[in-house]
Amino acid sequence: MALMEVKSLASGYGEVQILWGVDLNLEKGKLTTLVGSNGVGKTTLLSTVMGLLKPRQGTVTFGDRDVTNMSPHARAKAGMVLVPEGRQLFTTMTVYENLEMGAFSSRARANFKQNLEKVYDLFPRLQERAHQKAGTLSGGEQQMVAVGRGLMAEPEILMLDELSLGLSPLLSLTLFETLVRLKGTGLTMLLVEQNVNMALAVSDYAYVLAQGKIWLEGEARQLMKNDEIRQAYLGVVGH
Amino acid sequence: MLGQLLSSLTDGLLLGFVYGLAAVGLSLIWGVMTVINLAHGPVIALGMFGTYLLFLKGGCNPYLALLAVAGMGLVFGFLIYGVAVHRVLNAPHLSTLLATFAVNMILIGVGTAVFTTSPHNIDFSLGSLEVGPITVPATRLVAALGAILFTAALYLFLYFTRPGKAIRAVANNRKAAELMGIPSAWILALSFGLGTMLAAVAGGLISTFFPFTILSGGPYELKSFVICVLGGLGNPLGALIGGLLLGGLEGLIPTFMPVSWVPVVEFGLFILVLLFKPSGLLGAK
Ligand SMILES: Nc1ncnc2c1ncn2[C@@H]1O[C@H](COP(=O)(O)OP(=O)(O)OP(=O)(O)O)[C@@H](O)[C@H]1O
Ligand SMILES: [Mg+2]
Repeated sequence: MALMEVKSLASGYGEVQILWGVDLNLEKGKLTTLVGSNGVGKTTLLSTVMGLLKPRQGTVTFGDRDVTNMSPHARAKAGMVLVPEGRQLFTTMTVYENLEMGAFSSRARANFKQNLEKVYDLFPRLQERAHQKAGTLSGGEQQMVAVGRGLMAEPEILMLDELSLGLSPLLSLTLFETLVRLKGTGLTMLLVEQNVNMALAVSDYAYVLAQGKIWLEGEARQLMKNDEIRQAYLGVVGH
Repeated sequence: MLGQLLSSLTDGLLLGFVYGLAAVGLSLIWGVMTVINLAHGPVIALGMFGTYLLFLKGGCNPYLALLAVAGMGLVFGFLIYGVAVHRVLNAPHLSTLLATFAVNMILIGVGTAVFTTSPHNIDFSLGSLEVGPITVPATRLVAALGAILFTAALYLFLYFTRPGKAIRAVANNRKAAELMGIPSAWILALSFGLGTMLAAVAGGLISTFFPFTILSGGPYELKSFVICVLGGLGNPLGALIGGLLLGGLEGLIPTFMPVSWVPVVEFGLFILVLLFKPSGLLGAK
């Protein structure tokens, strides 16, 4: 059963159209990766899915609700949560306050304590830094706050845009392990990653975005074997 | 001579707290949504008239009236935001300036029609206090305490309540706030309401010791700008301290030179700060 369904979504900025009819089907409990070269429109797609950008055409369905015309905060309240590209933390507020703001909606607030424990359990560093201003943290710590804040919102679907950008290989690995742990809890996720290798390795399913449309889709392990994918996105030189 | 100097300095500093309160309102709105609220002055004046009417027609103690004025200011700010500001918020700055200026003109127009431009005053006194050589009217002391109280309440609200923290989140990153489920439009309206409330309260406090007209808010609006620049626009604590500085200057200057020099010194300082420390005396860098 699809938890989130995107149908012929078209979107862009002003005169420029970036997406020309994108279809996604995100299965409940699955980890899906969206692959695409720089500037192809991955972030644009996530922004449109969250309602930060108005679609020119198409629909977004979440559960059994058509959310196409809902405001971003209403979508978040309904359980659609995006950890945006570039972290977008509340830099002047403390780590704890960032986590509190993650749990702003009434649904998430009800389980604040348990969720906070879970987040501290995933990222013990955040507990140590709880009362430090988020803007003064290291890049890796900031990424943990971004993910932790997203989890505090009690997502039914968690979308992560460029989780590992700018992080050391070791820290990226840790974050990927976290994703696998989260998947174990049944969380549905959509991942956008520069590190396509690692992303496909942990994913169930994958979409490839090219020229404003889904160019290819399939089981992640099938796509990893695809020659075109290997050349274009995995940095493997052709045979 | 020294007694007189101390008295007028104390007078000025007490008044400075109230200037600071008005400036905190302006600064809050700027800090959250980068809107310069040109309707700040008439709202201050409406705070004066609100207190006046409740005192005169309602037979209310002016300080009790002030609480009602605060509530009305909050609602009024909500309205101004919804009617005039929300739709142009993402347009270039000139649009929000024009929108709030239009509100300014409407308020002054209606206010003039209703209250005329002749001076009104609240006939109320608490006597005066004498401490050594210093004599101050008690109403000024209460006004300063009121200003401190409201500023402290705002601080507690912003740092220790959920909606207050949401205001800071929206000020910091509106898009991220939306993504976290914070209804940013409501939070912006609330911030505008609070800024307007503080302006109205400042007006109400001033009305307990100075006569006023519907145009009286203008000079306080200008002072608020000066104070915000002194303290760093968007920094409420800086605004309060800037208010004290300005009040202190106003208390001292007349002892040394004619009163008419006060604005010259104030705006001279304003320009100097803009030139040499545009982030404000308390601002970073
Ligand atoms: N705010 C904007 N205004 C105008 N054009 C934009 C805006 N944001 C992005 N674009 C353009 O839209 C296209 C898609 O951008 P987008 O950020 O969605 O790409 P992306 O796939 O996320 O790239 P990356 O992998 O580098 O993050 C790019 O050509 C970009 O220049
Ligand atoms: Mg991107």
